[in-house]
Amino acid sequence: MLDPTKPRPSPGPGELGVTFEQPDAHHALLVVEGEIDTLTAGSLERALTELLNASAEVLVVDLSAVTFLASSGLAVLIRAAHQAGERRLRLVSTARAVRRPMEITGSDQLFDLYPDRAAALSPEV
Amino acid sequence: MSDWDSHPPGEPSVVEVRTSATAALIPTIRAVASDLAARADFDLDAISDLRMAVDEACATLVDVAAPASMLQCTFRVHAEHIEVHAHVHAGSADATVSTDTFGWRVLQTLADHVEALRQDSVVGADHAGPTVGIRLDKHAGMPPR
Repeated sequence: MLDPTKPRPSPGPGELGVTFEQPDAHHALLVVEGEIDTLTAGSLERALTELLNASAEVLVVDLSAVTFLASSGLAVLIRAAHQAGERRLRLVSTARAVRRPMEITGSDQLFDLYPDRAAALSPEV
Repeated sequence: MSDWDSHPPGEPSVVEVRTSATAALIPTIRAVASDLAARADFDLDAISDLRMAVDEACATLVDVAAPASMLQCTFRVHAEHIEVHAHVHAGSADATVSTDTFGWRVLQTLADHVEALRQDSVVGADHAGPTVGIRLDKHAGMPPR
């Protein structure tokens, strides 16, 4: 379990920072930092499993601090979107490194994309 | 003056990167790809696409590479496009670049041209498997406004 009171160093290559939070009973939030590629897709998958297991009806993945997204990482996100079913995954990012892979594969249709975390955590379900 | 102006017109600049064939070094190779595309005035989408395409190609090849072998990645930087050729010595005789994967479909979308290459091992070579590679080509995109 991550201790939120401890300052975390920025993840280096091959490392992914993942933090799981439940701000309230209705919202579950996964904050991801770093580069999502073949080295780190496994960490993302484990973190997404934890998110999907939450009973909250709003599932948010904050990818604002993700600077690279390879197809291996995209595949993990797509699987999670299918598993989330009607809950729909809310993704936060304005970065080209995240938006571009989703656009060119058409997988942006599988997610609800938000420009910032506050909007994604808004009460409208 | 851009970095490429010192070259005769039509002659590509060539950059070769050779690393151990391990996923841990792919971030370095894709950083080189991104840097070359930025210096060649690629548009931002094209830079992002080339970075992802090179990552994808290298990840595919590292998967089939023989243990303790090398990954070689050659960039030819032309005026309006960058050509990338990456290859490894494969670990098994029947190794090939798998083209029926999600990753390969993404690669086809990212690059303007992509092909899988395979060359059987020559007799007496110090590796048993074939050489497998990927060649891809990416155009600079729309000129910046």
